[in-house]
Amino acid sequence: MALEDYKPDMERCSQCSYCKWIPLDQVKSWRFAKGCPSIAYNNFLSYSARGRFAVALSLLNKQSTYTDRVVDVIYKCTTCGSCDVSDKICRYNLEPLEMIQELKIRAVEDGQVLPQHTAVIEHLKKENNMMMAPAAERGDWAKGIDVKIVPAEKAEVLFHAGCSYSYDKDLQETARTALTILQKAGVDIGIMGKEESCCGGRAYDTGYKEEFTQLAEKNIKAWNDAGVKTIVTPCADGYHTLMRLYPKLGANFEVYHTVQYFDRLIKEGKIKLTKTVPMRVTYHDPCHLGRRGEPYVPWEGKEKKVKGQIVIYEPRKPRYNGAWGVYEPPRDILNSIPGVELVEMERIKEYAWCCGAGGGTREAYPEFSNWTATERIEEAKATGAEALVTACPWCERNFIDAVNSLGADMKVLDITDLVKQAI
Amino acid sequence: MTLKKEIYQEFEDIVGKNNISDDLALLDSYRYCLAHTAIHLGPYYRVYTPRGAAVLLPGSVEEVQAIVRLCNKHKLRVKPSSTFWSAWGYPLEDNTVQLDMRRMDRILEIDEKNMYAVVEPHVIGAILQAEAMKLGLNTHIHGPGSSCSCLASATALAGFGPDSMYMGQHSENLLGVEWVMPDGEILRVGAAGSGLDWYTCDGPGPSLKGLVRGGQGTFGGLGVFTKCALKLYPWPGPANLPVEGKPPAYKVKLPDNIRGYTLAFSTWKGWADCCYMIWEAGIGYVAHRQYSMFGRDLKGAMVRILSDHTKTLSDIEEMLKDPEIQKFTKEMQRDFQIVIAGMTPRDIEWQDKVLDKILEETGGWKVKGMLEPDLYNWSLLYMLRLGHKNLNLVYAGGYDGCFGIGGTPDFGTSAPSEGEPERVEQATEFKKEWEKKGNIVAAGGDGMMGGIGGFGGGGHAMWENFTHFDPHDKESTEGTLEFFGATSEFGKQKGWGPGMEKMNDYARWTDGRTTPKEIREKLLSGGGEAFRYQRKFKEAFDPNALGDGYYRTLD
Repeated sequence: MALEDYKPDMERCSQCSYCKWIPLDQVKSWRFAKGCPSIAYNNFLSYSARGRFAVALSLLNKQSTYTDRVVDVIYKCTTCGSCDVSDKICRYNLEPLEMIQELKIRAVEDGQVLPQHTAVIEHLKKENNMMMAPAAERGDWAKGIDVKIVPAEKAEVLFHAGCSYSYDKDLQETARTALTILQKAGVDIGIMGKEESCCGGRAYDTGYKEEFTQLAEKNIKAWNDAGVKTIVTPCADGYHTLMRLYPKLGANFEVYHTVQYFDRLIKEGKIKLTKTVPMRVTYHDPCHLGRRGEPYVPWEGKEKKVKGQIVIYEPRKPRYNGAWGVYEPPRDILNSIPGVELVEMERIKEYAWCCGAGGGTREAYPEFSNWTATERIEEAKATGAEALVTACPWCERNFIDAVNSLGADMKVLDITDLVKQAI
Repeated sequence: MTLKKEIYQEFEDIVGKNNISDDLALLDSYRYCLAHTAIHLGPYYRVYTPRGAAVLLPGSVEEVQAIVRLCNKHKLRVKPSSTFWSAWGYPLEDNTVQLDMRRMDRILEIDEKNMYAVVEPHVIGAILQAEAMKLGLNTHIHGPGSSCSCLASATALAGFGPDSMYMGQHSENLLGVEWVMPDGEILRVGAAGSGLDWYTCDGPGPSLKGLVRGGQGTFGGLGVFTKCALKLYPWPGPANLPVEGKPPAYKVKLPDNIRGYTLAFSTWKGWADCCYMIWEAGIGYVAHRQYSMFGRDLKGAMVRILSDHTKTLSDIEEMLKDPEIQKFTKEMQRDFQIVIAGMTPRDIEWQDKVLDKILEETGGWKVKGMLEPDLYNWSLLYMLRLGHKNLNLVYAGGYDGCFGIGGTPDFGTSAPSEGEPERVEQATEFKKEWEKKGNIVAAGGDGMMGGIGGFGGGGHAMWENFTHFDPHDKESTEGTLEFFGATSEFGKQKGWGPGMEKMNDYARWTDGRTTPKEIREKLLSGGGEAFRYQRKFKEAFDPNALGDGYYRTLD
């Protein structure tokens, strides 16, 4: 859909400001009541979903034009989807997150781009990754592991490591561990090694739809050619991209995040967690696994009015509001590790606070991105946990950097790391 | 028109460069569409409030003072707003400096023993309630819901809501105000003004509370309120609401000393008698005719949709065909919701027994369908937190209240003369006819929503007949305007007085700007001496006319 297609939403946004907060029913304190990092940091209304509706309408109506401020408003959004959940507490016919994504896409089409983004995107086009690293080194993370390399070898399940795990030296061990655990549990699994490409999801969330589409089509073709049916990824961003965005381009793969796969294997007794890991932990729901990790439901239809002016959709439109995200598998895993005590933060599941790494903000607005992460660290500290556990390398990276900047006494772990300790 | 460069710089020197902007698109996000929320005028299709000259985010009372002084120096208007819920919070004229108070968002104090909180402008109901509950206290949450500023409702509006019967209006709860007057001086009203704690807004000496607030509040039209103290009330429930469920159908299971019911009656007389008897008995924590805002014919289906996360509006047509839902809806025709809260086990048993006795005497009952666990727990949370108030806009994004049948419960529920239907039924039939035209949601005519006790202790009931429309649809918006015009005429002809649909016509006119003087004066003439007195007050306190026409004055 084009930005113009969201004009009804722009005019139907009731300017209620729910988008700024976590769902009001879930507010437990003054300190952790905010939902949208963008307005929490930047303060002007324009940095909320209601404000972005207004800014987009102003641009479409030619009441204003692109300025540095407008570009800042457009891109200084992590696309975490918190606004989307809170808006949909009372509304069934608004799509703020989709509109924000279209606003970014339009800005890119109009040439209103940020140099920090173009540098990454140019590199992505050449080297197929978001990490400014050579494509040839993509498979190095798995060196020394005896694993099938797809498509030369056939495997039932393809392990898609993603850009971050492929290149971030501090995090690579998690990908290696995840792969090894799955192998030991008897999963017939393979990787694409240096032939693996970026999923394109982060490019999409930054507004680079064309680049995303090219990557996605390339990946879909490669996987189809290789006979891939099932994909598992330890990256929440990748999970969302493969689960929600690829089907729109015709993909038809079974997609799992490693936490889902681990959870299943633990419940089937194929992974046995026997060692005690005495640790008080709290779990951070990655946006792309949680509220944005809902399964894709194909829909094509149109708006219709009933009872005079009630806006509905024909056929019934799927509703993405965070209700169906992946919340229980990671918690079930943590609760099944002997010795681990899971304590929840105030903002969890569909109303979790974002880590600050998404939507191109880590690349273009490091200060904002880091502040968002430090807010989460403070929230984690308030639980008394000694470790903040997550299931996304982008979150983990941002949290590690935030902990370092704060000098905080908080471990940051991927859930895989704890599973490994417990086996 | 934006500010001259040198004036902008003067403002920037006060708040810092990150807290001021005159970017046109950004300023457009500080405009309000006059086809939206409870603006009580219009609705006007694609008419917006005027663009501000700049938006500033002050971070302290000193900054507010400095801004107001600068506005005086440069003859600029100033319009503060905290949570920007309705058109009141937006400029009426050009050359207005908009103050977004969101950086002043602290709860400065909760005095547990003396049961009050001191808050800054951007503290919202949900937050104050959550913090108060940890101490066994609760705060009144006003009608627009828990996303809105507590201070704004207490200082700038009347601030009533579903729990007013027990927790008063916010204007009643006001125990002190820090006010940056239109000349930039600070006035602390009440005991705090004498360097004491914030325990009373009246005195020592003559009370200034009434002067500061005016008749119904200043609506942001007379200086800037930067702090206030609000009375808190007992909360006999858990320190944290144990919310469960998937969005948006959140629910709460509370201990047995907090109970919520939907009461329904076979006659409107029984409904009204029940209100009187509840007030007389002194029972009840929250009481409101809430879900009728979805419409008499739709509310049964709507509460089922909203309390079930698998349902959407697309299910409504099918659900309306369900005989069980039809029966459920019919049963709730003359209804209201009540929460009772016992301070002790004996208290809750007594209150419930009294309620049963009242129902027996008034021909009422507790609606069984609303006692099903999912609906029960959903409704309890809804009424206590008011975190779903913007369901007002659920159908298409536009609503406003009309009629505004206020007074004793008898007013709306009785017949003006023998042989006539009750006023509520007349209003219902009137609206139903207009619903047939298709421009407003066909909800069954009766969308009357409002408090069972508009003041502390009860004694007042007020309904507005919710009318839902599509602000994106020209025909719907203009059709709604036409309907509201007819509603006003109907009210006048019937001698019921003006309705809420045009309540703010005195301030903002069809172009989104100040109402022409002759029309304004005519509309405010009913206020007589009070508004003339306010004129004198404005002249004395706001000589440079920084404030706007929302503050009611008559020459």
